[in-house]
Amino acid sequence: MDELAELAERVASRSGRREKVALVASYLSALGDEDLGRAIRFLSGRPFGPRDPRRLAVGHVSLREAVTAASGWDAETVTLSIREVGDIGEAIGLLMRGKTAERPLSLAEAESLYRELARRRGAVEKEELLRECFLRYRPLTLKYFVKVITGDLRIGLHEKMLLEAVAAACGVKPDALRAAAERTGDPAEAALAARHGRLEQISTRLFRPLDFMLARPIASAREVPDPENWLVEDKYDGIRAQAHVAAGRAALFSRGLADVTQAFPDLAAALERLPGSAVLDGEVVAWREGRALPFTALQQRLARKAVPLFLPLEAPAAYVAYDLLLRDGRELMELPIEERRAELERLLAGHDEPLLVAPQRQATDQDELVRLFAEARARGNEGLVLKRRGSRYEAGRRGGAWLKWKQPLATLDVVITAAEQGHGKRATLLSDYTFAVRSGDRFVNVGKAYSGLTDQEIRELTERLRALATARAGPILLVRPEIVLEVAFDGVQKSQRHESGYALRFPRIVRWRRDKRPEDVDSLERVRQIWEASLSSPGRSPSR
Amino acid sequence: MRVEFTGQGIYLADLDLWLDPHHRQRRAWISHAHRDHAGAVHEEVYATAETLALYRIQHGGALEGAALRAVPFGQSWELCGARLTAYPAAHVLGAAQLLVQWRGLRLLYTGDVKLLPPLCGRPTETVRADRLIVESTFGLPIFHFLTREQARERIVAFARCALEEGRCPVLLAHELGRAQEVAHVLCQAGVPVAVHPAAARYLPVYAEAGFPMPGWDEWNGSALPEAALVLPPRFRASVQLPRRRVRIAYVSGWAALDNARARTGAEELIPYSDHAGFEELLELVEATGAREVDVVHGYTGAFARILTLRGKLARAPERPRPEGENG
Repeated sequence: MDELAELAERVASRSGRREKVALVASYLSALGDEDLGRAIRFLSGRPFGPRDPRRLAVGHVSLREAVTAASGWDAETVTLSIREVGDIGEAIGLLMRGKTAERPLSLAEAESLYRELARRRGAVEKEELLRECFLRYRPLTLKYFVKVITGDLRIGLHEKMLLEAVAAACGVKPDALRAAAERTGDPAEAALAARHGRLEQISTRLFRPLDFMLARPIASAREVPDPENWLVEDKYDGIRAQAHVAAGRAALFSRGLADVTQAFPDLAAALERLPGSAVLDGEVVAWREGRALPFTALQQRLARKAVPLFLPLEAPAAYVAYDLLLRDGRELMELPIEERRAELERLLAGHDEPLLVAPQRQATDQDELVRLFAEARARGNEGLVLKRRGSRYEAGRRGGAWLKWKQPLATLDVVITAAEQGHGKRATLLSDYTFAVRSGDRFVNVGKAYSGLTDQEIRELTERLRALATARAGPILLVRPEIVLEVAFDGVQKSQRHESGYALRFPRIVRWRRDKRPEDVDSLERVRQIWEASLSSPGRSPSR
Repeated sequence: MRVEFTGQGIYLADLDLWLDPHHRQRRAWISHAHRDHAGAVHEEVYATAETLALYRIQHGGALEGAALRAVPFGQSWELCGARLTAYPAAHVLGAAQLLVQWRGLRLLYTGDVKLLPPLCGRPTETVRADRLIVESTFGLPIFHFLTREQARERIVAFARCALEEGRCPVLLAHELGRAQEVAHVLCQAGVPVAVHPAAARYLPVYAEAGFPMPGWDEWNGSALPEAALVLPPRFRASVQLPRRRVRIAYVSGWAALDNARARTGAEELIPYSDHAGFEELLELVEATGAREVDVVHGYTGAFARILTLRGKLARAPERPRPEGENG
């Protein structure tokens, strides 16, 4: 651990990517097999391997308590010091300077300390062990010992660079190592295989879950400048699950890589009937009459060890598959998504509920994305997942080849046209606002909202609105349309109440857009589009 | 003795003497030539000869008509019935602590101070006092600095390595104090040095005081020099430094924290300061023997609390003060 800390300092003091990789590679190549695994884990900010169920459960409070006890400084000095440093590991290293026995710490010893920390129950017991550690080891070592606990070394060594260094240290190509690391889900395991020339033997193993590819969240269609480059699927409100199938046996693994097969005997039975072997990625959803129900309908199943036979009827489940990672011993993860999808469709062709393939759609522009989003919501789903055309399956990564867009609905920018006083403690303030969208060169009202701003903002708005007042109609103050709000809502309906002919359902204020002018607000046309989109799913309003 | 802590500076009313005031006053003691202490011109100024030499470079013609009184180290003078004596404070060249003896009371104003010997300048003398006014720029137990020997080694090794790689070593160092120290050690080690004009203008005063810089060049600012470049941090943003052609080091007390990398763009952090690090500061306070301590700059509240816990009568007088320029 002492050498690792010194290495980390050197890596932090080099800004060049290649220099960092070279430093790490030369350090790793001198390590024995067991230390190689430990160093790789520690350098990626993990005390244990990804499949190790142990958790440290050590928070900032415990670290602070322990360093307060070990350093002898008063709590205020320690708190201020941590704040000034900005990183608790670094702060602990600095606070313990000159106060430790400076004993050496090996990687193996550090690992057993982490295990002991995970084993101890209760904050007091953990803090006692931390205090002992803080008094025993070198300050620089403590800095990184703690950074592994908090999960980020902050030395500008990103996962990809670490893998490059591991590849260089083990004499293999970075791509080969990365692929192996994704298959095993454990870079340390891949490194060992690489070092001993067994990289080719690492393959996706059936009934041993792989890391899931993850989606990066986006908040609106505006973040997708090139909709034509993306495939669009609904985002289901279910449990992400990997299905492993071979020779009449099936298993389902959830995101925590836990085996959840027992909760879904109905799905397992259907999966067992698939020919050959396969690993599928998809979502377990509650399913009735051709549509997904909220996930809560399934939650009771997970709570039980074994699911009684009558439950599947109460809350029927379906497996909506959207990716295929392995087929009859052939790995597909490096293939473009379109090819994996084609294989998936072939595999599930002729199968019916509860095995489904997630419908895939396409958008040519952002407006169409917005429409698809509204449609997905109308079907009772959470939103959309966008998958980049031509992308491979990046196990364990949130790399941006998948995006998830999940929001109540797209928001609208509107302008305040009238305001009213509120009730209770807001009785003296203007806290209820009627708002409008653009229609040609006029503004037409589409709703009224009274929540979502802070008291401070309401006070400020009250002052601004009083200055903008043009007329009073009973309790209502009419104002010059100048102040722009961003509102969220559950849907659009036809309404006689407003001149626009539409009203937003359950509008709420997301934020005051001080950066926008009245001419920037959304148009009545946009409101009409959202209303029309909600019509294409008859029988259900867009709200949930 | 009445000591007033005001937004204008510290005022010793019985002597009609201001300590490092921010605006023009009738009579002032200037502890050293950093802007936040020596930014104003006064009718009558007491300071060491070296501080006055630096002060003249900064204020030039504006000093016309001002009475500048050069005070030798260790020799007392009388003022309104008090005996005043200047003692070295290490900080920057000419920096001095001021001891005021008045009716049996010994009041010591340290100004900015460093206890370990500096790369350039006189070592600090510890002075016994009853009452102490001390700074706490680095008054938290996270600030540990290199000794001058360690700093010299790091600075020279950094510059040599970069030059061997074919890159220009850029050393970010405050224009008055660290810049001259860095230039001095590099020149002494035979490393070619180019100094930014804002720092270069003070070099002759350092050379005259016995810290020669043989062979330095003033940087003309047009291209990267084939030498180590000494650059005050405030010019960092306005200077083109192509990433692959330079190595950047930051020489400062603030370089004790990793977040200095993000703030300065430096790769190498060399935590050497012209202020005392935390332990030095505590040692300095203890060495004065003062029971009563006023903490006037930096982490004043925190450092006063730490002193209180150690049995001092310590305070952090409220005193709005402009941002310091040093560190």
